[in-house]
Amino acid sequence: MSSPSVLYAEQPEWADVIPIPQYENVEPLAPILYTPEYKDATDYFRGIVKTGEKSQRVLSLTEHIIRLNPAHYSAWQYRYETLLAIKAPLDVELKLMDEIAIKHMKTYQVWHHRRLLMTHLLRNTDSTGIDKGSSSSSTQSPTQIASSELTLIARTLAEDSKNYHTWSYRQWLLAFFNDDSLWERELDFVDSMLNADVRNNSAWHHRFFVVFQSGVREGEQNRDRVLKRELIYVKQNISLAPNNASAWNYLRGVLDLNKLPYSNLVTFVQPYSVSHPDTPSDLVDLENPPPSRGAQLPCPAAIEFLADVYEKEGGDNVLKATELWKSLGSEHDTIRKRYWEFRVKEGLRAIQAQS
Amino acid sequence: MSTSTAPNLDNNVDNDENNFALPRLARIGHAGHVKRCLSGLPDSQVDLDSSRLAIVFYCIGSLDLLGLIPDKIAQGDLDMWREWIWGQYVSGPYGSGFRPSPFMAFSTGGPSTSDPNSTDAPHIIMTYTALIALAILRDDFSRLDRRGLVNLLRSCQRPDGSFKTVPGDVDTESDLRTLYCAFVISSLLDNWEGVDVAKALEYVKGCRTYEGGYGISTGFEAQGGPTYIALASIYLAPPSPPASSPKYRLTREEKDKTISWLVRMQDPSGGFCGRTNKTADACYCFWCGAALKILGADHLVDSRALVTFLADCQFKYGGIAKAPGEHPDPYHTYLSLAALSMYPPPFSNANENNNASWIFEPLDPLINAKEETAKWAREKVRGLR
Ligand SMILES: [Zn+2]
Repeated sequence: MSSPSVLYAEQPEWADVIPIPQYENVEPLAPILYTPEYKDATDYFRGIVKTGEKSQRVLSLTEHIIRLNPAHYSAWQYRYETLLAIKAPLDVELKLMDEIAIKHMKTYQVWHHRRLLMTHLLRNTDSTGIDKGSSSSSTQSPTQIASSELTLIARTLAEDSKNYHTWSYRQWLLAFFNDDSLWERELDFVDSMLNADVRNNSAWHHRFFVVFQSGVREGEQNRDRVLKRELIYVKQNISLAPNNASAWNYLRGVLDLNKLPYSNLVTFVQPYSVSHPDTPSDLVDLENPPPSRGAQLPCPAAIEFLADVYEKEGGDNVLKATELWKSLGSEHDTIRKRYWEFRVKEGLRAIQAQS
Repeated sequence: MSTSTAPNLDNNVDNDENNFALPRLARIGHAGHVKRCLSGLPDSQVDLDSSRLAIVFYCIGSLDLLGLIPDKIAQGDLDMWREWIWGQYVSGPYGSGFRPSPFMAFSTGGPSTSDPNSTDAPHIIMTYTALIALAILRDDFSRLDRRGLVNLLRSCQRPDGSFKTVPGDVDTESDLRTLYCAFVISSLLDNWEGVDVAKALEYVKGCRTYEGGYGISTGFEAQGGPTYIALASIYLAPPSPPASSPKYRLTREEKDKTISWLVRMQDPSGGFCGRTNKTADACYCFWCGAALKILGADHLVDSRALVTFLADCQFKYGGIAKAPGEHPDPYHTYLSLAALSMYPPPFSNANENNNASWIFEPLDPLINAKEETAKWAREKVRGLR
């Protein structure tokens, strides 16, 4: 890469390119006060695009622009076209992009570029790693390639554990390669992320995606066992940190998807819905782990859950539900007072309609 | 949980609850912030180079919501803004639309090209923002090639129903944002020939998650922005087959679950978060607030807490930031004002001192523009038939 301190205009090896300044046909609106470095690089980039040149130096020029402005989608697009046109080794490209990915992880284009590269690599590599397009300097199987992607993603998430683009890329990558040996390690990965922060909703979402929304893999065919495992997992996490909306959403998601009645969980949920639950016996009940000591109770999510059970049961129990909603609106979840009052009104209306 | 911003009022003094005061909404300061951005952005914002038209939209949109267009802006400025936006209008074999800025323009001979893979191509999101910005400026759209717009949408839709941002052979970014913009454009044109509506709605469906919100693309985590966009798209779809099929409408259960997820995004600070267990951010007061408005559930929002949060996001030298103590930008400024347009503070004493400064004209939540502007857009973009 050329040193950023020397403008392209002053480099003899760029003397054959005619730079094209940005053309504003009228008084510019919200103009950006470019640095001389950015202006010079983009002037030469427009010059290159105009002649359609695709060469090694285009890779250094686009890299330079991307480092100055990672959201420059045309530079990314032209870079990708150039890589393919000159059959540049894509493993070298990926390595270079690792650093840029971590530095600019909040930029969409960084991840989109990797997607394009992965798609191209998988289409042009057979399972033994023999490259049909001669666009890689070493022979790696698709699984190896994807596996090192997962490592990079993990490194990125270590810096920013809720980065939306990075998590999305992980989901895309797993579904795209769809290789059992890759899926296999995902639950451990989720576990490590949740151990670091049990309220990380991205990790919870990822778990749902892996377990329920990406097909059924070997070892997971017994869905009853999977379901049981997931319920125990989420209950234990609720027990450790009851006021965690992510875990409650996961629990509801699992029940809804599998069409299981909420009433199955009343024994588990009840102690979370009161200020002072009965002291649990010393017996370890895996199905119904109690709230951890010192937990802040009652937990509004538990009250809401019980109210949903009562509402579903209908009849007189709807009245019980309205009492719980009232307590949420007036005491335990006052920011949603209007919402709980609305639920009370709807509940009372349902009772009236029945009688 | 309880509101931390206000002393917890006893339940039996309900009548006085709406008798409260806010600091003044710094209208002049916020207008000043977006006007400064229109006149120039510092080099540190170079990453906006490829989305300048969107920033222009947020700036002009803020001035529109603040009621300053057209009367409080010099006619010469309004004309100049309009000309700059039309300067981004480009056509090619893929159709026509607006580019983000001349950042990839290399000809002085007019903004047209015959290269289907031109890097100087229209961008669907920019095209949406340009149409709304021009409607704010009350343009007559006589320069608009409507057939070209339809062709652009057709060139950008992918086999899975989503839309690429720009035409061409390379698979550029595509997600729900672009789909929403394609829907607004079709709705304004009153012409859906550019869109395979069934496929698009199928794609929207695939973005729904177990939490009750929507992710930006299939399989991704529920987030406030995509949830707004998904709902707006469903409600913008034409009331004729195939979009009218019940399988593309939300069921009662789905609607209830989405409302429940959305209201739970409001946190004790009064602001809305974008995802479960994240902190509040001013822009989600719009995304989640508008989503609730579309579902007819805006009465469930604690608008007093919402406004109190937004009041705290005001930057002392003008502009609104994503959170208290942060730096402002046109995006958060516009979206905060748009949220206020849907959620006026529930004053019983609106005429008192500062309170009048918080009152706005109503907003059309589906296309995200002041109602009057939306009306103009609907009348003029479709053109004479
Ligand atoms: Zn924001």
